[in-house]
Amino acid sequence: MLASVLSATLQGIDGRVVRVEVDVAPGLPGFSVVGLADASLQEARERVRGAIRNSGLVFPPRRITVNLAPADQRKTGASLDTAIAVGILLGSEQARADGAWALIGELSLGGELRRVPGILSMVAALARRGIGRVVVPAESAAEAGLVDRIAVHPVADLAAALAVIRSGRAARPRSNPARVDLAGSGAAADPGQPPAGGPATTATGPEPEVDLADLRGQAAARRALEVALAGGHALLLVGPPGSGKTLLARTIPSLLPPLDPSDALTATAIRSAAGEGPIVELDRRRPYRAPHHTISYAGMVGGGPMLAPGEVTRAHQGVLFLDELPEFGRDVLEALRQPLEDGRISIVRVARAVTLPARFQLVAAMNPCPCGGPVGEEVACRCRPGVPERYAARVSGPLRDRIDLWVEMPRVPPASLVGLTPAEASAPVAARIAGVRRLQIERQGGLNSTLGGSRLRRACGLGARERERVIVLADGLDLSARGVERLLRAARTIADLEAAETVHLDHLDEAGRFRALGGRPLNQLAV
Amino acid sequence: MLGVGAGGPLGPSGGTGSRDGRSLDPAGPPRPGQSSDLGADHELERQAAMLLMSVEGLGPVTFYRLLAARGSARAILELAASEVGRRELLGHLGSLPDPGQDPGRRAAHVADGLAGVARAAAAITDRMAASGLDWLTIEDPGYPARLRVLEVPPPVLFIRGPIAALSAESAVAVVGTRRATEGGRRTAARIADALARLGVAIVSGLAVGIDGAAHEATVVANGTTVAVLGSGHERLFPRAHERLARRIIATRGALVSELPPDADPTRGTFPRRNRVISGLADATIVVEAASRSGALITAAWALEQGRECFAVPGSIDAQASAGCLAFLREYPGQVRIVAGIAELIEDLGLAGRRPATTERGDGRPSAQAPQPAPAAVLASLGPAERAVAGALLAGSATVDDLGRRSGLPVATVLGTLTLLELRGLATAAGGRYRLAGGLVGAGAAGMASVARP
Repeated sequence: MLASVLSATLQGIDGRVVRVEVDVAPGLPGFSVVGLADASLQEARERVRGAIRNSGLVFPPRRITVNLAPADQRKTGASLDTAIAVGILLGSEQARADGAWALIGELSLGGELRRVPGILSMVAALARRGIGRVVVPAESAAEAGLVDRIAVHPVADLAAALAVIRSGRAARPRSNPARVDLAGSGAAADPGQPPAGGPATTATGPEPEVDLADLRGQAAARRALEVALAGGHALLLVGPPGSGKTLLARTIPSLLPPLDPSDALTATAIRSAAGEGPIVELDRRRPYRAPHHTISYAGMVGGGPMLAPGEVTRAHQGVLFLDELPEFGRDVLEALRQPLEDGRISIVRVARAVTLPARFQLVAAMNPCPCGGPVGEEVACRCRPGVPERYAARVSGPLRDRIDLWVEMPRVPPASLVGLTPAEASAPVAARIAGVRRLQIERQGGLNSTLGGSRLRRACGLGARERERVIVLADGLDLSARGVERLLRAARTIADLEAAETVHLDHLDEAGRFRALGGRPLNQLAV
Repeated sequence: MLGVGAGGPLGPSGGTGSRDGRSLDPAGPPRPGQSSDLGADHELERQAAMLLMSVEGLGPVTFYRLLAARGSARAILELAASEVGRRELLGHLGSLPDPGQDPGRRAAHVADGLAGVARAAAAITDRMAASGLDWLTIEDPGYPARLRVLEVPPPVLFIRGPIAALSAESAVAVVGTRRATEGGRRTAARIADALARLGVAIVSGLAVGIDGAAHEATVVANGTTVAVLGSGHERLFPRAHERLARRIIATRGALVSELPPDADPTRGTFPRRNRVISGLADATIVVEAASRSGALITAAWALEQGRECFAVPGSIDAQASAGCLAFLREYPGQVRIVAGIAELIEDLGLAGRRPATTERGDGRPSAQAPQPAPAAVLASLGPAERAVAGALLAGSATVDDLGRRSGLPVATVLGTLTLLELRGLATAAGGRYRLAGGLVGAGAAGMASVARP
């Protein structure tokens, strides 16, 4: 007998609706899955067989054919397990369904439903198709519940799923969704499974948030960071080890304004697709990603069998912080150019391509040269001639060109730390940044970093004296045409921080300071 | 004599004059006096010499040897163009002194290079014309007389900027370590500034550190400065000084190299150019040099060339002065001490000289025009600039220090620093700022004139 249920898989960060057709026919017992299913789905056969038997049901000794439609789309992942099992049970008349259902979830051999990455996107895809109800693993109830216009039925195991689709009502109250009943089911021996409910470890791990007040001195770098975050400008911090580059970067999460709800949904979908979780609520914090410099190309860009999002996508709408910039692989850095330009990343694999959002703000840090650079006033760089140039050249010209603000961070001598008045904390700075961002969105629909050409000039509203100063700065600082645009963008943000209608001389001068380093080698003491 | 010449590309010229004595025979390299006709013939020979010196591995010693054998650069090129000639050339080249390499291979390499240059002569000449570079051969009347008298003068000098800059009435080389202290840079700047105001051309090597400070101060004083490169003009090194190089040209100074435009800077090219630095100057002043600093090579060349040599003594605890002190100790009576600016001027025999006030015909004030004193420069600034410059008088500073010293908000400090930098009154590196240009000399007096807010 033929049965048909709906489910979904994940490609990139998007859900794809899949119709699971199961034909249970007389003949030699067999179980085959067709419809561009990859290796992980072939393994689904074994999980489904075990789950059905261990749920007290019979795996029919018939010829079972599972077809996954549409047939031209490669399907991967374990999200279809439950739908396949239910299809077999429907097809062998061990279960009945009341109308059309969608089911998502991986099965354990014991029959429990497990969380899979990207539930949010998959449920959203089903909702867009007008599908009214979906069965999800109990763990993912909150995540699936973020989607409107679809009834979510969280269940703990296969038996509960069958009960739900028969009656259309939750079999049990959801109050106890965790796997209380697992202890007795003998399914505990499953070391591959991460502890239920525990936080999944990510590349960066949860870093303790640092407040700006914890950082002493470095007024110039603080100011540059404020300007960069306020206008969405790419920022490069250059300084010897111990100057506080990394510490400063770690204050970024405390300075970023929260996402609005629709952006937060995208961000949460990305986190879900990336396997973070479990996701219990809409997270409105802006992403802050700080991958280590040993990261692979696929880790940065995204990839793998499920075309999982990489760091550039996981930093979408937030900040991507690259510490020790020249130490990153050259191909990894070159891969940043496309997203920095158009806010998207395209991943192309055999017969598949997916474009993921990647509109992140780049913040990077580097030493001026391999030896760590000049220290204090009297000790110059100890590198051999040419070495610092080669080091800096690891960051290619096109990438440097896309960095708006450059700031040098000298090492702060311990003696001067004592006398410093306490620094401003994150909260007031974050409030200024949020205000200035709102201002920009109202004025031009985007941050200043997105301005260019005539829109930029209009936004700046330069007078005659200001135009003259731009020419002087361009000349004196050796700015290219692109460099002048970056100067103007930064100046616009500086003016916004003062709530100035137009850009004044002071704003241009200060922006010039952040551009002055752009063309200069980094390890030099001044002549 | 220090062992400076022994390992350099000019090895034999360093001490054992006997080996290359032949090429220095008066009948050997044609001297300028001998070329009577400066017409088309001369121009062809000029080009041929330039082409010869574009060959990798062909240095002055080889050049003069070939010239002695064949009479003219053109004849050598003609020879190189044919297979028969090549064998003959290899004969001449076979006896090249060559410490590090198989002589036969090197000779073949040079012969190949010569053949290549002979084939590509037109292209090379066109490229030179397009690049805006000029060159001087030793036969040209404009060739600097100070260099002509060297034991092995550079056969060809590639020049950007006016040729006259190389033959200033007086020229002094100010050299020193790349790893200079702030004090060393200030000393170099003060010396260069004072001498430039007396109309002395300042020669140095365009390196970072002392060299850069000397060039910079001369440019700011609107004086003439000559930078001798350790690379070809198209491979300017260090890249950090590209802007300084342009400003040197803009103030009618010159960049000089004896290497062809596409020569890369290598370990060997710098000691070699040092003899040109000292050779272009009447006197060489070493401001700071750690032991084994390249600046000491320049100083040793100066002594070798019979020029005056000065060293700025430093504390015996200062690493950056160890080389200067060792040098002074090694050559008592030959190397003189810089005891002060006025004393230096006296020792150089420039004591009676008054800053000339001749216009240079291009409308800009000449180097010798009186420059405003630091106090006057300070007084000409706006209030914020004066406050930040005043804060810099106490020594180099970070933005944090400047904010504290001046009491200005950080945004103002940052913008003001840009203005000071554009005026050439401050420079920045590694997040630290220091005074430059007309404010370098400002000391306690300048301090007093600045009302602290």
